[in-house]
Amino acid sequence: MNAGTAGNGPRHTVLRRPGARDGGFGEGDEALRVMERAAGVDEGKAGLTEGSAGQGEKPAQRPGVKPLYLGRKDRIAEAAEKAARRAFLADRVARLGIWSLSALALSVVALVIGVILWNGLGTALSPSFLFGKPEAMREGGGIWPMVVSSFYLAALTLLMVIPLGVGAAVYMSEFAGEGRLTRLVRFGADSLSAVPSVVFGIFGMVVFVIYLDLGYSLLAGALTLTLLNLPTVMRSAEEAVRSVPVSYREAALALGCTRWETVKRAVLPVAMPGITTGAILCVGRIVGESAAVIYTVGLFVRKVPWSPLRPAAPMAANIWHMYTEGALVPDWFRVASGEAAFLLLLVLTLNLAARWVAGAVRKRMGYRV
Amino acid sequence: MSVISFVSGKVRGRRPGSVGAEGAAPSQNKRAGAESEAIPGEGAKFRLRDVSLRYGNRPVLEGITMDIPERRITAVIGPSGCGKSSFLRCLNRMNDLVEGCRLEGLVLLDGEDIYAREYDVTALRRRVGMVFQRPNPFPKTVYENVAFGPRIFGIKDRETLDGIVELSLKRAALWEEVKDKLREPALALSGGQQQRLCIARVLAVEPEVILLDEPCSALDPIATQRIEDLLAELKENYTIVIVTHNMQQAARVSDYTAFFLIESQGEPGRLVEFGDTATIFTAPADPRTERYITGRFG
Ligand SMILES: Nc1ncnc2c1ncn2[C@@H]1O[C@H](COP(=O)(O)OP(=O)(O)O)[C@@H](O)[C@H]1O
Ligand SMILES: [Mg+2]
Repeated sequence: MNAGTAGNGPRHTVLRRPGARDGGFGEGDEALRVMERAAGVDEGKAGLTEGSAGQGEKPAQRPGVKPLYLGRKDRIAEAAEKAARRAFLADRVARLGIWSLSALALSVVALVIGVILWNGLGTALSPSFLFGKPEAMREGGGIWPMVVSSFYLAALTLLMVIPLGVGAAVYMSEFAGEGRLTRLVRFGADSLSAVPSVVFGIFGMVVFVIYLDLGYSLLAGALTLTLLNLPTVMRSAEEAVRSVPVSYREAALALGCTRWETVKRAVLPVAMPGITTGAILCVGRIVGESAAVIYTVGLFVRKVPWSPLRPAAPMAANIWHMYTEGALVPDWFRVASGEAAFLLLLVLTLNLAARWVAGAVRKRMGYRV
Repeated sequence: MSVISFVSGKVRGRRPGSVGAEGAAPSQNKRAGAESEAIPGEGAKFRLRDVSLRYGNRPVLEGITMDIPERRITAVIGPSGCGKSSFLRCLNRMNDLVEGCRLEGLVLLDGEDIYAREYDVTALRRRVGMVFQRPNPFPKTVYENVAFGPRIFGIKDRETLDGIVELSLKRAALWEEVKDKLREPALALSGGQQQRLCIARVLAVEPEVILLDEPCSALDPIATQRIEDLLAELKENYTIVIVTHNMQQAARVSDYTAFFLIESQGEPGRLVEFGDTATIFTAPADPRTERYITGRFG
């Protein structure tokens, strides 16, 4: 019963073939077999084994077979064959579609990564560039203050956004109960996360830089980025807290914990992998954010900004700066490309780290990851 | 409210097992068939008087009056949905967590009204520990699971904690199996071991009562056997209330049996019969008990 017999074999042989050949056709195959069995019942035995009916043998030659059912088996077989062909075709088309879409998506990612690394990887990996002092007019400058700015900004932001976000999430899911307030907060958060980051940038400039007179500074930027990231951090923390099974809360409460002790000792530790993942992904978003930072922190510095009240130049903002007005340095393209490559590696590493950390913690807790 | 505080004020401080609450408790013997509150020759740990429970406007339990004897195993049986779990959760006020849950009547622990306004719920739950249907150890190490309760009390001293952990695991008949795995995740243990770990975790807070809600329903027969043996040992020192829908289990392990039933859908669960297990299983007073035990409904 191989592929070569198509067309001249018994009918049911033909219709089994797609399943037999494809391997991924188990269900249709089974359905066919059921139908064959149903059709064969009236012949007293599974009459299809020898393909007798398919070859048009007269039922009258076999005692005990009622002629009434002569045509029925063929009709069933025919319908089943059609259905199988259709399913087979649909399956092929769907597979091809899904496969090519994924291939397209992957190749776009590969292309972007490839171009950026091709242009900048060599620069990014040279210590004199990474740890070097930026030049304002000449070529050959490094980006160390920008690297520090990015991490400094991320640290300052995390310091504010994690306690606020996790606190709000815990309050909402553990203490507030479902009500108008929580619905309002959630709606507000969802709306905020739909606001483009440049709007946050303008807001930060007006409120923190100008009105609160912080000037262009890491603090002004961190405050702005806190607002920008609060909704996502809060929602991801809430997700993590909510996914802690009720049974842990019950166990803690039944041991005589207060609600707060329950949260602290039973809920938060279990939610920690999720919260950590959210935090690491948040770092990625912070170091990658340019629009909100351009208006609040600064574009270019030559010295490492040690005070949070000093202007700074996170990498993402500096890249933008290099491409627009940065032409003052002749090798602006080299600097921007190197910075972009480093940023890309950083964000990729952070994303991998987020997965790895969460997996490792869950494993240590004893979950089968 | 005044009745309750009067009663609890009057009874408080008496020795468990004295007849103190009896005279003061309102509305006894409301229904025939449930007049089993005082079990001769036994001191009562819990006294329930005409307890009713509602979730919102849905009545779940009604008119429960019974005494739970001290240092004995009391089994609660009945078809599912008749309020066995709800009943158990009345005894350590876990029902407080359910929104819209209201309890009427009196629940006295050693003569004290545990639903009195000023009653300390966390202290109650330390005295009345609970083991759940599915083993629910925390995703921490075996050691940290048992040390969880003591740590909440603020015990930090390493040696003290070590001692508590070892003793609790020994009492839960788990020490030999896990003494080399104390630092391994509790979730790596088998289901039966996890359930005994949960019992050890409860024992570590030195409770007086242990409530178990179908503790073996997720376990295989051998693990079940282990738990039953353990319960028989524990009753020397603890008052045990176990919900089970396994009649053989009730017959095997318990000294007293309470049979709950809802007459029809939407009705609250009622205590049909309560008495010593041998009587309930051999000569039940109520025909419904007999029908249930012989497997004719539920
Ligand atoms: N948290 C709850 N909120 C509302 N109804 C509940 C809740 N828990 C239980 N019930 C209802 O109370 C009744 C008794 O439930 P339960 O005490 O779990 O019975 P059992 O343990 O005997 O099966 C059931 O009808 C159930 O639907
Ligand atoms: Mg139950």
